[in-house]
Amino acid sequence: MHVHNLPAEPFAAPRGADRGSSDRQPVVVARHVTKTYGRTRALTGVDLEVRAGEVLGLVGHNGAGKSTLMRVLAGLEACDEGTVTVGGRETSGEAGPRAAEFRGVRMAYQETSLCPDLTVAENIWVSSRHCLPRLRWRRAAGDAVRRRLGEMFPGHGVTSGDRIEDLSLAQRQMVEIARASLVDRLDLLILDEPTESLGPDAARSLYDYVRRLTAGGVAVLLISHRIREILSVADRVAVLRDGAVIADRPAAGLGEHDVLALMGAQVADRAGSGPAAAAAGEPADRPVMAELRGATGSGLHDVSVRVGAGEVVGLAGLAGQGQQEVLERLWRPARRDTKVHGSRAYVPGDRQRSGVLPLWTVAENLIVTAMRGIARHGLRRPAEERAAVGSWVERLSIRGGPDAAMTELSGGNQQKVIVARAFASAADLVLLDDPFRGVDVHTKTDLYRLIRHEAAQGRSVVWYSSENAEMAHCDRVYVFRAGRVVAELAGEEISEEQIIAVSFAESDGEPGGPPAESGGEPGGPSAESHDTRNRPSAEPDGARNRPDGARNRSDGAQSHE
Amino acid sequence: MNIRALLSRPWIWGFAAAVLVWLIIVIISGQGGGQTVSLALSLAPYLVVVGLGQMLVITAGPGNIDVSVAPIISLAGFVSVAVTTSTGSAVVGVLAGIGVGVVVALISTVSILGLSVPPIIATLAAGLIASSVTLSLANGFTAVPDAGLRQLLNVRPAGVPLLAVAVAGVTALVIALLRRTIYGRSLIAVGQNRRAAERAGIPVARIIATTYLASGALAGLTGSLLAAYIAPSADLGTRYLLDSVAVVVIGGTLISGGRAVPVGVWGAALFFILLDGLVNLVGWSTAAQNLLKGGLVLLVLFLAGGGDRVAGTPSRFRRRPRPAAATTTTTGDNTHG
Repeated sequence: MHVHNLPAEPFAAPRGADRGSSDRQPVVVARHVTKTYGRTRALTGVDLEVRAGEVLGLVGHNGAGKSTLMRVLAGLEACDEGTVTVGGRETSGEAGPRAAEFRGVRMAYQETSLCPDLTVAENIWVSSRHCLPRLRWRRAAGDAVRRRLGEMFPGHGVTSGDRIEDLSLAQRQMVEIARASLVDRLDLLILDEPTESLGPDAARSLYDYVRRLTAGGVAVLLISHRIREILSVADRVAVLRDGAVIADRPAAGLGEHDVLALMGAQVADRAGSGPAAAAAGEPADRPVMAELRGATGSGLHDVSVRVGAGEVVGLAGLAGQGQQEVLERLWRPARRDTKVHGSRAYVPGDRQRSGVLPLWTVAENLIVTAMRGIARHGLRRPAEERAAVGSWVERLSIRGGPDAAMTELSGGNQQKVIVARAFASAADLVLLDDPFRGVDVHTKTDLYRLIRHEAAQGRSVVWYSSENAEMAHCDRVYVFRAGRVVAELAGEEISEEQIIAVSFAESDGEPGGPPAESGGEPGGPSAESHDTRNRPSAEPDGARNRPDGARNRSDGAQSHE
Repeated sequence: MNIRALLSRPWIWGFAAAVLVWLIIVIISGQGGGQTVSLALSLAPYLVVVGLGQMLVITAGPGNIDVSVAPIISLAGFVSVAVTTSTGSAVVGVLAGIGVGVVVALISTVSILGLSVPPIIATLAAGLIASSVTLSLANGFTAVPDAGLRQLLNVRPAGVPLLAVAVAGVTALVIALLRRTIYGRSLIAVGQNRRAAERAGIPVARIIATTYLASGALAGLTGSLLAAYIAPSADLGTRYLLDSVAVVVIGGTLISGGRAVPVGVWGAALFFILLDGLVNLVGWSTAAQNLLKGGLVLLVLFLAGGGDRVAGTPSRFRRRPRPAAATTTTTGDNTHG
C-alpha cells in the first residue's frame, strides 16, 4: 500500500530552524471566496493561505463560517465567487469528494464521517480505496491503520476489525483522524476540533504527530475552540469572523485574551456572572427540587446528589463516569432512589440526533416544549406562542429569526434554539447534557448568563459538562469518577484545577488513560478502599466534603417527609 | 397564491392526476363528466376516511404503518350490521363498528409499545385476529344492512353526495387537529425525530398509542358505512390496504413521517376512484388494475425521492427537506391545505 511511504518521508526531511513561513510554498490558497446558503451568507470574502510545513490555527464563533470554509478548502463544495488554488493549480468550479485537484487535501471531521456498521479497516477502504490494492485490501487497510494509530495514539486500544459502533467516542475520533491522514500523498490535513472528544494524553500525542507531519512538509489546518491549544501548537493563527478572515498573525507572542478579543467575544468576567457567593454558602437552606439517594445500578454506585430550588448544580469529571446516567434518572425518575419535585426540561448535547426537528422552523422548534404549558384544553394559542418565540429569539439573538428553517442555521444558533426550547417552558428543573460542546465562546457567554439569570428566578439547573471551566458557573459541583461521586465542591472551591485534580486523583502518573483504567476497575469494595486511601492525600476538599454529603442527605429527608 | 407557490404544494399532484383521468374518461365515454364526478365523490369518502387514519400513522415516523385497516373494515362491517339489526339503531351499529376498530388497534398498540414489536408485524397480527373473527361471523350471516342508513349514504342533493360533504368536514377537523392541537403538533414532532421529541418532553408513547387507536377507529367507521352502502362481506376491506397507503403517499405525506397532507388524501382518493372507473371502462381485469396502482405508487416514490438522490442532494425520505420543501416549511405549518 502506498500509504506506507507517508511517514518515512516526513521524518527524513529536516525541519528548518527558522519558523518564518513566508518563504514556504503555499499548498492551498483561497482568494475572495464567498458562499451563500439560502438567506445565510456563510462566507463573505475569505482570503487564506495555508503553506507547506506549517500548522495554521483557525478560530472563530460557530456561525463565523469555519465549517463552510473547510468544506470549500477540502473540495467538498464549490464556492460561489472567488478562487481556490491547490498546489499552484487553480481548481475548476467542479467540487465533490472525487475532485482530482483536492486529492491531497484530507479532513478529519468533528462529528466523525465513519460508517458505524463497518469495521475500522472497511472504513479506511471507503475513503482511501484509490491507494489500496484491489485484492486483499482488507489486510492492507488494517495494517496501515494499525501502524498509523500506533504512531498517533500509542495505547489506543483499537483493532482494525472492530466495528465503529462498538468503539468509544474518543476511539472513534482517533480512527477518524487516522483515516484522514491515510493517503498516498498528503498535502494538507484539516483537523476540525480533533481534541473535543479526546483525553489529554491522546491530545498530546496527536499534536506530537502533527509536528512530525509538518516537519516533513505537510500543512495542517487546525480548528478548535480551545484557544490555548491552538496557541501552543500553531505557527500562525487566522481569525474568522462573520464569514471573513479578519486577522492572520503569528502565534508567537499572541495571548488567549488577544485571540478572544479578535473573535469579538466579551470575555466572561467570572466575578460578574459567576454564582453569588452568599447563596452558594448555605445550600442546605434551599428547598429540595430533586435528589438521588444512594442510587446504584446502570453505571452508578451509591450516588447521592441533591438539587435545591434556584441552584445550579454541576456534574463534572471525565466524560462517561456516570454523569449522564444521573441526568437520565432525573429526566425519568422511575426508581425509588430518585425523587424529583416539579416539572423537567432537557437540553440534549447531541443536537442532530436528539435535538433538532429538521422539517420545522426556528419558531416551531423553539416552542414545542412550551406549547403544552401555553395551551388551553389541548388547543394551542398562537398569539401567546408567537410572543414567547419573539422574545426568546431576541433575547438570544438567534440569527435568521423565527421563520428561518432550522436546518439553515449554523450549529451554534441551532443550539441556542434548543436551549431556549427548554427555558421557554415552565419547567422547574432544567437538565443540561453537555450542550455547549463545539459552541463558540460568544454564544456560550450568552447562555451562561441565561442560566444564571434563570437560576436567580428560582429555577434549578443540573448541568453536566465535559468542559471543566464551565463548572465555574455552578453553585455546587459533584465530581464523578467510575460511577461514584468522588467530591462535592461549592462556591469558591470550584475551579478547573480543582476539578481536574479530583477527577484524576486516582490516575496520577498513569499515562495509560483514565477510560481504559476505569473500564478495568472491578467497581466493588476494592475501588472504594482505593478511593478513601487516595483522597485525603490528593484532594483534601474531597475528604472534607464527604460528611457534607451525608448531612445534605438527612436534610433532604427532613424537608420533604 | 401564484402558480409557483401552488405547484410547490405537495397535494396538488393528486388533484391534477384526478383531473387528467377524468378528462380521459369523458373523452372515451363521450358522456357528460358531471355524472362521473358525482359517482367518484360518492365512492371516494370511504377511501378518504381510512386514508386519513393511515396518514396519521405514517406521520408518526419511520416504520409506522397500519396494515390492519383492511381486516378491520371487513370485521366492522359485519359487527355494525349485526348490532344494527339486533338493537334497531343504526347509530349504535356504527358506534359498534368504530369500537371494533379501536379494540383491534388496541391489540396492535399493546404489542408495539409494550412488547416492542415492529408496527408492521403488530398490525399484521392484529389484522389476522380480526379476519379470523370475521370468518366465523360471516358463516351463516343473514342480517341485512339498515335501509335508512343506506338511503342517507345515497343522498345526493345537486349531485354532491351528503357523505362527501360530511367527510370534507372530517378532513377539515383533521387539519385543525394537526395544526392547532397539542396532539397534532406532538405527532408531527415525533415523526420528524422521535428522540428529539422525547427529549423535548413529548409523551411519545401516548402520542403513538392515540394515533393507532385513531386509525383503528377511522377504519372501523369506514367499515360500518361501507357495509351499509354495499353489503357486509369477508373481503369488504381487502382493496383498502394498498389503497389507503397509496393515497397517503400520492397525496404528498412524507413516507418517513413528520409531514401530513390531509387535503392530498382527497386528491389521491379521487384519482384512484376515477382510475378504477377508467380501467373498468376500457375493460381491464382486477389484476391489471392492481398492477397499475402498484406501479403508480412506486413511480410517485421514485419521483419524490429517487430523482433527488440522483441529483446528489439528500432525499426527501432521509428526513431532510429539499430546497422546495424547505420553502414550504418556512411559509407555515406542516399540514398543507
